[in-house]
Amino acid sequence: MHSKKIQVMPLNRSEGDLEIHFEIDDGMVSEARSAGTMYRGFENLLKGRSPLDGLVITPRICGICCTAQLKAAVKALDMIAGARVPDDAIRVRNLTLMAEQLQNDLRHTFLLFTPDFTSPAYREHSLFEEAVKRYRPLKGEAVIPTIRETKKIIEIIAILGGQWPHSSFMVPGGVVSVPGQNDIIQCRSLLANFRHWYERRILGCTLARWSDVKTLEDLDLWLHEKPAHQESELGFFIRFSREAQLHQLGNGHPNFISFGAYEMPVNTGLKAPSAGFLFPPGFFNNGAMNPFDQEKITEDVTFSHFKSHGDPRHPFEETTVIETPHDNTEAYSWGKAPRYDGYPAETGPLAELVIASNPLIKRLLDKDGPNVFIRQLARLIRPAFLLPAMDCWLKETGVGNETFYQKNEQLENGRGFGLIQAHRGALGHWVTLEDGKIAEYQVITPTAWNASPRDREGIRGPWEEALVGTIIKNPEHPVEIQHTIRSFDPCMVCCVHTIEGNRPIAKILC
Amino acid sequence: MSTTLYWIQGGGCGGDTWSFLSAESPDLTELFDILSIEMLWHPSLSALDPQSKEQLDRRILEDEIPLDILCVEGSIIQGPSGTGLADTLLGRPKKDLIGALAEKAFHVIAVGTCASFGGFGTDQETEATGMQFHKHDLGGFLGKKYKSKSGFPVINLPGCPCHSDVLAGTLSALANDLPLELNETNSPLDWYRIMVHQGCTRNEYHEYRVEEKQFGEKGCLFFYMGCQGPLVKGPCNKILWNRRSSKTRVGVPCFGCTRPDFPPRHPFFKTRNIEGIPIELPAGVSRAHYMAYKGMAAAAAPKRLIKRKSGI
Repeated sequence: MHSKKIQVMPLNRSEGDLEIHFEIDDGMVSEARSAGTMYRGFENLLKGRSPLDGLVITPRICGICCTAQLKAAVKALDMIAGARVPDDAIRVRNLTLMAEQLQNDLRHTFLLFTPDFTSPAYREHSLFEEAVKRYRPLKGEAVIPTIRETKKIIEIIAILGGQWPHSSFMVPGGVVSVPGQNDIIQCRSLLANFRHWYERRILGCTLARWSDVKTLEDLDLWLHEKPAHQESELGFFIRFSREAQLHQLGNGHPNFISFGAYEMPVNTGLKAPSAGFLFPPGFFNNGAMNPFDQEKITEDVTFSHFKSHGDPRHPFEETTVIETPHDNTEAYSWGKAPRYDGYPAETGPLAELVIASNPLIKRLLDKDGPNVFIRQLARLIRPAFLLPAMDCWLKETGVGNETFYQKNEQLENGRGFGLIQAHRGALGHWVTLEDGKIAEYQVITPTAWNASPRDREGIRGPWEEALVGTIIKNPEHPVEIQHTIRSFDPCMVCCVHTIEGNRPIAKILC
Repeated sequence: MSTTLYWIQGGGCGGDTWSFLSAESPDLTELFDILSIEMLWHPSLSALDPQSKEQLDRRILEDEIPLDILCVEGSIIQGPSGTGLADTLLGRPKKDLIGALAEKAFHVIAVGTCASFGGFGTDQETEATGMQFHKHDLGGFLGKKYKSKSGFPVINLPGCPCHSDVLAGTLSALANDLPLELNETNSPLDWYRIMVHQGCTRNEYHEYRVEEKQFGEKGCLFFYMGCQGPLVKGPCNKILWNRRSSKTRVGVPCFGCTRPDFPPRHPFFKTRNIEGIPIELPAGVSRAHYMAYKGMAAAAAPKRLIKRKSGI
């Protein structure tokens, strides 16, 4: 019998609350919309304020990626000031953001993503009992050490930047702190401890052994090599995901965007895998790699409750004029649709590793396309790339005679952008200053890319696309929806919307 | 008997939750074990499916499950135009659920500045307010007369974010039925009677008026850089952040995030002053005395400080 059902599902553990509206047609998702359910209005707070105030206000957009917001904010001001940022300041900025990223990747995996493996939907899964043992909230054997180790690694941010969350230690021209040798030694110890835990518990092997895994055969070889690999968090995640067939879930657009992560200091012993970045910028479009050019970013408002100015505009040209929902019956979102060269694009750790041409990720992508399994796998293995770079940069910090801050001209007029890779992907701040005040402040968050509504061509945003076509095995427990959305590591406090009546109207606030 | 705890988020960034995860000795999970706290719901940590969550809410509201401690994070969003629709749960204003839970709770804790006083969004279309204060004024969302079942008003734990030790200590006191002395904004005196300035490693610079005028100079941030450490209450330099440091210690000014009127309109990185004397002086200090004292102190400043050799 043909059955069609429309459901609204609140989705917690999405760093802020989110509701998914989806239609199930004969057991398959035929349409989907995502609606964040809260609006805070940060953009308005910034207009008319002193230029440096963005360094205090934008980190408070998000309690888990505040250092990322700070870095995007400061890079926009660096550009306006024409600042030359000393190497040691670049290192401190990178190191603190990397520490926050380690925290994010592990907390997302074991506090936000894998608790779904304890859902009653998996009662028949052969690893269900062990999943409950590992992932039970606040009690699981993977959860408790994750809480303990992640709070230690962010001590690096407190040593170099005062506190976490919500510090403002990055300023145009560098950082305010002047870490001494002992501060750096403390950071190195924290890093060594974290690495030890990551190797022993998360990978089950050394970083060196893991770096040999480049093909699908390598992965199987690694998994079956020894019990330590199978029993590690990575090994268990792979085994559980295979039986649950997560690689068949959450297929989306084959487009990925990265703004480039962790710019290299001028003088460093670390080899840059690509021009000036640890993870290169780029746009991967249906199998082809393209160089990244921020001029090609536009915001489309066809399905958003904003006045259209005709063609989609670049963020510097974009103004936000609200249109009441009934004026435009097609619109269903307060979110604008970011597009690159006209295309929607997924962003996040998977996008970073695809654009960095990581051999294992590329082969998995070639085999199955983008999916829940490789999104989460990319997040879980990303620390393996950060840890050696952090070690190198910590050793180099404070060794030369350079300062951590270079004084600049007063910030009066001009415009600049700060584009970084935050933990969830591409984050951009576009700032315009007039007469020493903030005139315009546009933020496009990673979740804005991933949770984008349709554009004027009717093309869905990445996670809308990833949901459509999903087979729901048990309508009582639609874990497939939860996995798909959570695999994007949604951050709804960054990207928040509002509901009016029963129509989802979504507003990207930041 | 376990103590039940329900955590709800209004207009916030989640920072108080992530800050709470930094609790140490005991850490979060140990603390809940020691205090026999049963966490009924936390939006970032719970794995209840949506149906069970709805059932939980219903059972609490119908008095089938006792609610011992309600933690509220984030502001109460009342806008636009009083509808509360800028923050909803299943189409209904979240504030309605927060209000209904507050009627059932034995204790209510406002975690962070937004939940305490409104914080971000108080002057905007979101019409944000605090649980029982709107900035400096008693009232807020629940009104002046509100008392939880314990007879306490909403206990405010301001800070952006709230420090994990402050929340852990407050939970411990409540779970053990220990008396909790509150200040004029209903915050526990244990953490909100001292100034942020106390314990700052740059105190000696302040003492002799060795000023920082440019980032990274290692001086006192109070005179030019906008530091509010001597003006606001908070334990940042007593219990430190992440067990390591504080903003003022590394050279970031205190932005006064525990203040009921945070965030202020004036620039964060600039001290409003008249001829080098800040308009806002350390709490309770007379201008004439302060000017005389600082003038003499600056003259008495030792060279080792002026040369910034103290290594802070």
